[in-house]
Amino acid sequence: MPERTVSIASSVGLHARPASLFSQAAAKAGVPVTLTTKAGKSVNAASILGILSLGIGHGEEVTLKADGDGADAALDSLVELLSTDLDKE
Amino acid sequence: MTDTALTSLLAEDSIRLDCTAVDRFDAVRQCGAALVAAGAVDESYVDAMIQREETVSTFVGEGVAIPHGTLAGKESVRHDAIVVLRFPGGVDWEGNAVSVCVGIAAAGGGHIALLSQLAEILLDPEKAEQLRSASSAEQVYSLLTPDPDED
Repeated sequence: MPERTVSIASSVGLHARPASLFSQAAAKAGVPVTLTTKAGKSVNAASILGILSLGIGHGEEVTLKADGDGADAALDSLVELLSTDLDKE
Repeated sequence: MTDTALTSLLAEDSIRLDCTAVDRFDAVRQCGAALVAAGAVDESYVDAMIQREETVSTFVGEGVAIPHGTLAGKESVRHDAIVVLRFPGGVDWEGNAVSVCVGIAAAGGGHIALLSQLAEILLDPEKAEQLRSASSAEQVYSLLTPDPDED
């Protein structure tokens, strides 16, 4: 199963706005995406509540996993999103 | 984790169980007004909350929205606080029905832990339903008190 590890670029972590943008993108990915923290907790990346419940801070590493057609492309675009400071606007 | 308990940031008169709003921005303004009334933020924070809502909806699922300010609004925060406003008639939130708004004022990084605690509660469908139908401030308090055995 394709997977990517990325650290959270948003200066305030993966909270409301970045979490919302990320989970929306994950929901549109076309394949189910799982996000796992370094501590080993996994959630459905398309669930904003799931993402928020992890309380992921700036610089923390997370692993994204997906399976199926287009999994690699979906992971690449989600990784790009997490590597961007989504809170700068 | 040494998280601040959600309930320690929630004053009893910041729980309003019988609100009505014409639209989501009205609901956000009411949350802002409740935070102003609690002495947690200056008036300008309300505009920052509206701004945030215009950029990205703060709807999180389970009939709940979490209005809060933009980063730029952080200077208007005097102390971290939350308010709970219940809209029994529901508020249309871009096609989603919202019946509870948890307004958040947070100056530092503390809001990540706050949101995490809140999300943890809402991920339990039973607790989310209890919050949507809460009829007393005590009920809201007890729902927002985390179980001690959870990490």
